[in-house]
Amino acid sequence: MVPGAGLSLAAALDFGTLPSQVVNGVLNGAIYALIALGYTMVYGVLRLINFAHGEVYMLGAYTALFVSWAYGFRPDVPPDQLPESSLATLLVMMLASMAVCATVGVLIERFAYRPMRNQARISSLITAIGVSLLLQYGGGLFLPQNPPPTMNERVNPYRQTLELTLVGAPQQLSEAVEAARREFQAAERTFEERLKSEKDQFNLSPEGQRLRDAKFEAERRLRDAESKLNSAQVTVRVGAGRLAILVASLLLMFLLRQLVLFTPTGRAMRAVSQDFDSAALMGVNVDRIVTITFVIGSALAGAGAMMTATFLGTSITPYYGVLPGVKAFVAAVLGGIGNIPGAVLGGLLMGVAETLVIWAGYSQFADAVAFVVLIVVLLFRPGGLLGSSAVEKV
Amino acid sequence: MSLLRLEKATIRFGGLVAVNEVSFEIAPGELFGLIGPNGAGKTTCFNLITGMYRPTGGRILFKDRDISGLPVAQIVRLGISRTFQNIRLFGSLTALDNVVVAAHLHRRANLIDALLGDPRSQADTERLRGEAMRYLSALDLQDVASARASDLPYGKQRRLEIARALATQPDLLLLDEPAAGMNPAEKEDLAGVVRRLRSEFGKTILLIEHDMRFVMGLCERIVVLDHGEKISEGPPDHVRNDPKVIEAYLGEAV
Amino acid sequence: MALRVRIASILAGMAGCWLLDVLCRGMLRESEQRLVVLAGLYVTLAVSLNLINGIAGQFSIGHAAFYQIGAYTAGYLAFFYYGKLPLQGVPWLIAMLFLGMGTAALAGLVVGLPSLRLRGDYLAIVTLGFGEIIRIVVQAIDLTAPTGEQVGGALGMNVEPRIRIVGLVWLFALTCIAVTRNLCKSSHGLALLSIREDEIASAAMGVQVPKMKVAAFMIGSAFAGGAGVLLAHSESFISPSMFPMDLSFIVLTMVVLGGSGSITGAVIAALTLFYVPEYLRGLKAPDGTALTATGANLVGWIVAVVAAVVVVRWLAFRFRGTARQRAMGYLATAVGLLVVGRALGWILSSVPALQQAEYEVQKLRMVIFAGSLIVIMLVRPEGVLGRHEFSWDWLARVLRRQRAREAAG
Repeated sequence: MVPGAGLSLAAALDFGTLPSQVVNGVLNGAIYALIALGYTMVYGVLRLINFAHGEVYMLGAYTALFVSWAYGFRPDVPPDQLPESSLATLLVMMLASMAVCATVGVLIERFAYRPMRNQARISSLITAIGVSLLLQYGGGLFLPQNPPPTMNERVNPYRQTLELTLVGAPQQLSEAVEAARREFQAAERTFEERLKSEKDQFNLSPEGQRLRDAKFEAERRLRDAESKLNSAQVTVRVGAGRLAILVASLLLMFLLRQLVLFTPTGRAMRAVSQDFDSAALMGVNVDRIVTITFVIGSALAGAGAMMTATFLGTSITPYYGVLPGVKAFVAAVLGGIGNIPGAVLGGLLMGVAETLVIWAGYSQFADAVAFVVLIVVLLFRPGGLLGSSAVEKV
Repeated sequence: MSLLRLEKATIRFGGLVAVNEVSFEIAPGELFGLIGPNGAGKTTCFNLITGMYRPTGGRILFKDRDISGLPVAQIVRLGISRTFQNIRLFGSLTALDNVVVAAHLHRRANLIDALLGDPRSQADTERLRGEAMRYLSALDLQDVASARASDLPYGKQRRLEIARALATQPDLLLLDEPAAGMNPAEKEDLAGVVRRLRSEFGKTILLIEHDMRFVMGLCERIVVLDHGEKISEGPPDHVRNDPKVIEAYLGEAV
Repeated sequence: MALRVRIASILAGMAGCWLLDVLCRGMLRESEQRLVVLAGLYVTLAVSLNLINGIAGQFSIGHAAFYQIGAYTAGYLAFFYYGKLPLQGVPWLIAMLFLGMGTAALAGLVVGLPSLRLRGDYLAIVTLGFGEIIRIVVQAIDLTAPTGEQVGGALGMNVEPRIRIVGLVWLFALTCIAVTRNLCKSSHGLALLSIREDEIASAAMGVQVPKMKVAAFMIGSAFAGGAGVLLAHSESFISPSMFPMDLSFIVLTMVVLGGSGSITGAVIAALTLFYVPEYLRGLKAPDGTALTATGANLVGWIVAVVAAVVVVRWLAFRFRGTARQRAMGYLATAVGLLVVGRALGWILSSVPALQQAEYEVQKLRMVIFAGSLIVIMLVRPEGVLGRHEFSWDWLARVLRRQRAREAAG
């Protein structure tokens, strides 16, 4: 590498946008976390990598799209005839996505995975791959994809961009800005008054010149003070809709946590993920628990899909879930597969890592990041950050 | 000269000490027994000796060479072989093939020969199959040589495991509960087999068993483990009457 | 097997390939010859994957990576060195073949090492991830040709020289089959099978498990790499889009369908799964447009298949009867499938919505693929041939039994 290359790279990085990018990374990470939760819970109870989970996510996106069409946000409707969107609309879309995904997840489990439960593990894995491919290419037959549809941006009622100050600047800097602004305004006023009363002569006279220079000088001092203030504080600009993703995700994750920790069903889920057979022997209806696990995991993916489609405006194809599915899976492994808080942590880390790679200018490698992380984790710490490794007894 | 010597062998799993400073010696040609209540650490001892676990303390010497923590395949090559408590045959392979896998240890053709299928590889495979057949015959299994291992009745499976372990040509043979699930007649046969292993094949035997009469009638010396520690050692009569042993098995001395 | 039989087989194999080559060149169009070449490459891929998955029992589902490595080895070397060295034409191809197999084997080593620490699903994911990393890295590498143009990367690159010899490709496939077969019949092959059965017991019998696992990976990947070299020169063009994850899944389906562990099964499944879709692709409606299936037919067939799967599962796992009764049941199910599918399609075509919906059979290809993967897993997870192998002995036994039956009257 050329010696100066490192320096020029650093110079090329725009540190001003860094905080916004980190926030974006966290938001993407929230979506990954929602999907990763599905992977990790299913692996926890069945020791199965649900390859088809990404496709469930895809179906959630299409569901949200179709519901938005039902509300009148069709692509052929001119903008002035579009209805008004509201929180209620969003909630209906989200519930619909969650319901459809949950149903699909249960069907897959019941008809493709349950018969494989007593077979070798690789049989389940292969079946999962088959289901994944079937949904992708089946979707390719039946779902609209040419051109890939996007959700109408008016579906999102929170379209304004918020500017948030994360770290405030010291008092004196903002006072300095205030003072400089007052000076500038005074200088400007003086200049304007003299201009009005004396007109052309004033412009060309030495006095006029002096006042004009004073005005420019004051303006320059104002701008200096402002930029000092800006570099001292950390502000981020983020779309309001995207923030909604964070809020909704946190809410859903909190609900999940309550369920897993404090309800009998949650206890049963934890028991099944520890030891499937013993849980069955202790009277847990493992079939029911497995079904519930798929319902929750798929519903979360559906929620994530609806939010991505609505707030991030990505175009939807039958292959919509392939990359997010892989990245979310890596996130689950990173956090420790089978470990619920791990999935959240992994998701956030993946989201931030990916955004940083793009910010650093290596966007063509953004997808490779996931695979590299995956291999590194599996080689050096297969249990993930929050997981543990078990010893096989002879 | 001892064949196998454990010097304060210890292994802990997290907070649990499964085997705690156990020491004993086995001389060549001995019929040695390892007994103790359930969970005493007997199979763990086997796993230590065969290299499946690495001792966290002490050491294990085989033919005066420290084998603690060596890889399993290497220990097998040095001359120790074993059977398993829960039968671990290669179920979908035939009985003969099961033994060939073990005989493969003494192959004379390498992988390249095998890939090319050259005469050396073919001759070697024939030779190994012949050897395997001999071991099967020695344990009266020649009639089931081409049967799937998982299709065999229980008694034959146990004997097949022994035939397989023999095929690695060990000096020391570890038998993990070889008589489990057998009726008295089968146990008599098995005792005869074990004695033949020593007299005809020159093997030294270390066996784990729960059946007291079987062990006392067969073994020349016995070590008793309880909760991972050695509580008694000596010939059957000594061990049988040792109050510590009685207490370990029956609870407080009556 | 006597030496004489061995030599005879080798000569017969070479003669067969030569004959195939002559026939293809004489009777088939260029495009059809290309299909025969591709079929041979898929057979090689399936048999080499079968060595890793079926025989050694590892979970490798990223086989396309080695295919790609072999192809790009040939591609990059040709880009930099072809024309500058005394080697040209077929000798160059042979040299590339060895080099491609070498680099792919090295890659197999890299992937095989994690297999020592990882079990099952984890290993599968690592192999998949490895394949994707290769694809993404290759996509990012851009080379500049002497003429100044950009090649490589996402756009693909040309590969010289263009050599498409049907006989050579199939000779390579036969070599792969022969080598795998040799391995299986030796004690080394048994050692591999024992690793698949029970790794711990295998080690306890003195088998050097890590060495054998890595060896299996390296041999399997070497053959896949060789196939990649042959692909590169046959098509004279390679690009990352030719090696997607789906390719790995297709090869995996071939191995699984044929029966993990059965070389014969892998070969038959590879040929079937390659040629049937190609045949479907070539079908045209009477008026020359692409063949379509109506929604009615589609739904009809789907329902029939689902019903057949349910019946077969019941027969396989619950039915208490003789083997003959079971076989009759399967036969009846197969016939029933065809009848019900056709009938339902005909009945449903009275529903106007279903009759008008048309789907190109081409697009159905992958759907059928995925569907057959699931169906096979549900109906017969060990694959159609299971662990059975074709062998001359087996054929001799069958003929002998036939003769005995005839003699008995």
